[in-house]
Amino acid sequence: MFDIDWWSLALPFGYIFVLGSSLYVFSTIYRKRKAAESANLAPWFPPHLQKEVYSTLLELDADKDRKTKVPETVVRAALLRRAVEDIARIIQVRQAKQALNTLLQRGSVGEDLNQRFQRAEKEIEEELKDVVMEANALAPGWGQTIFQSANEIAANTMLRSRLDEIQNKAAAEKEWWEKRREAIQSEFMKELEEEPAKGGLKIGSDDDAVLVDSGTPVTTPSKKKKGKK
Amino acid sequence: MAATEEYFDLLPLDLDPQTKAVQAPANASKALHAELAALNSLHRSILTLENTPQIPPPPIPVNPKRSANITKLKDSGNDLYRKGKHAEAVKMYLLGIEMALKRPLWEPQGLVREEVAQLFANRAQAHMALQNWAEGAVDAEASVEAKRAGNAKAWWRRGKCLLEMGRLDEARDWVGHGLEMEGEEAELLALQHEVLARLDKKNRHEEAKALSEKA
Repeated sequence: MFDIDWWSLALPFGYIFVLGSSLYVFSTIYRKRKAAESANLAPWFPPHLQKEVYSTLLELDADKDRKTKVPETVVRAALLRRAVEDIARIIQVRQAKQALNTLLQRGSVGEDLNQRFQRAEKEIEEELKDVVMEANALAPGWGQTIFQSANEIAANTMLRSRLDEIQNKAAAEKEWWEKRREAIQSEFMKELEEEPAKGGLKIGSDDDAVLVDSGTPVTTPSKKKKGKK
Repeated sequence: MAATEEYFDLLPLDLDPQTKAVQAPANASKALHAELAALNSLHRSILTLENTPQIPPPPIPVNPKRSANITKLKDSGNDLYRKGKHAEAVKMYLLGIEMALKRPLWEPQGLVREEVAQLFANRAQAHMALQNWAEGAVDAEASVEAKRAGNAKAWWRRGKCLLEMGRLDEARDWVGHGLEMEGEEAELLALQHEVLARLDKKNRHEEAKALSEKA
């Protein structure tokens, strides 16, 4: 009754074993690859240079053998710089969030981009907490105001760079205008000379006349000649 | 604490023993040098603080001394302008602008915008009185950049300068943009009419020229 024919069962058992082991191998390899992939996802932001500077300064400060100590004010300045960079990153994350969500819904971007983004969001949250803690450690109560200051610094820096950009154009604009004015003047002179000969045809001379009139104190041809000498 | 494991590369930083400025070796990256320059200048402005411990105060309230100085410079510029000394007025406004832009960075940017917008607009006016249209146009643009809404004068001044320089297309676009920002401002509308009339004239003139060349 219990005489089982093991040999004839070898085939199904073998089948189950092969199936099970191949499934196992597949799942381990698949999971490993997945994990490696998500670990290798490019970070959203480039390395945080300001944070590295701050940490390096703290390390230098901890080093007892150094002759020149790192003054506290330098450490504070470095922390403030770090907070400023964080502000820039927060702004970037907030701006990207909406666009990214729309694109995700439409299926225009992949899931890995979303993962990278969510990781960046978490990172920045941690970073903010960290900065507030560090600030409170450096000076009691500073944590409450450091990001207000950092916000103004970020905005002020942006404003100044925009204004600089505009003001830097001034020299080129001026040069352009000087050349242009000369050109208009000589053209105007030519037209004035041509006019008596042509008689009736009056081609836009009053248009340019306004320009020359306002551009230089020169109004009459005789004065102009004087100026040229 | 273990969750936030700190991995970072130690940067090759050093401190100048006298000035306490943070330095990096010459072969370090450009970004690092730029960052250290920003850090050192921030440090210098922190050192000028009088409170203890020396931390940047919250943006409000503002130290009234600098505001008073800037207002004084602006007023003397206005006086000079009224007396017809336009070139001196330009210099006075320049001093005011420099003073305003040298505010410590942590002071409210809204305040800086307000002051700088006024000063640039006034300097544009002084330049216009000197018939320096190019400089006037640039200053008015800077003023608008600092304060977009509620700055109809600056919008008008750049438009006028562009018109005077004969850059009619730019003037039309600029004034149109200004009208969008400022609503139906009477002066801007008048300027727009002027620009459009000039453009129209120019177009007709060019057509006439083309016709006469054909004939």
